[in-house]
Amino acid sequence: MAAERRATVTWNGDLMSGSGTIDEVGSGAFGPLDVSWAARAEESSGGKTSPEELIAAAHASCFAMALSHGLAQGGNTPQRLQTSAAVTFVPGTGITKVALSVRGTVPGLDAAGFQAAAEDARQNCPVSQALAAVPEITLDASLDS
Amino acid sequence: MPRVVRAASVGWDGSLSRGSGVVNAMSSGTFELPIDLPSRIAEKAGKTSPEELLAAAHAGCYATSLAGEIARAGGTVERLDVMCTVTLDEVEGKGHLIVSSELDVQARAEGIDEAGLERAARSADEGCTFSALIRASARVDVRATLES
Repeated sequence: MAAERRATVTWNGDLMSGSGTIDEVGSGAFGPLDVSWAARAEESSGGKTSPEELIAAAHASCFAMALSHGLAQGGNTPQRLQTSAAVTFVPGTGITKVALSVRGTVPGLDAAGFQAAAEDARQNCPVSQALAAVPEITLDASLDS
Repeated sequence: MPRVVRAASVGWDGSLSRGSGVVNAMSSGTFELPIDLPSRIAEKAGKTSPEELLAAAHAGCYATSLAGEIARAGGTVERLDVMCTVTLDEVEGKGHLIVSSELDVQARAEGIDEAGLERAARSADEGCTFSALIRASARVDVRATLES
């Protein structure tokens, strides 16, 4: 069964001096959120989100879900997973890197087992597959004892 | 060229089917949203999902790209409305994959005609970082119309 998810954005004016709004999303979970080129391409976000931050949010979420699934299938349901994704954007070039990290609390699992499950989720979660053209997707996984 | 890093984090508790998480926009602090599996593949129940976040990312990326292309073609953008729909589907032998991202655009702009917009919309798709990336594994469709 296919799941469709939708978002709408309004942009006013040109790229450099104009600005936009993520007006709404199908779930109603967030919006409106302001976006602008400056918030996207300058070092500081200026308190605004950007496509790259949303991609980071999507990837960190997808990775967490895939890892919880993989761990549970292997008989080690996680107590807690703390994941993050950092997306590097070079204006004019594109997205050059996604750095995934995870700290997990998983009763009964050793570090090697956790590392293997995290690596599997890094490679196979749907967002990783959709972003397979990104030159570098790194993983830093550690298990809380 | 500046190197820009944007980050987000998720805290997830429990298994995939019964657990739940919260996704946090670390760079901007603009959102903190609950997520779970049913909201991703079945009823949305007011919760976001990775695919909805990608739809928001793609719509935002494409809107900025098209604003640039219309200006390059000599037009002046008054307003762009971009709707993006991302589809997650189960593909035989491959599990769940993001199979498509569809963009619907309504443009209000001066100094550009339908044919010019069509060209700008294509260039914007080629220039949008996210379109280029996701096209490696998913279909990207763009429909653009000019509002008079």
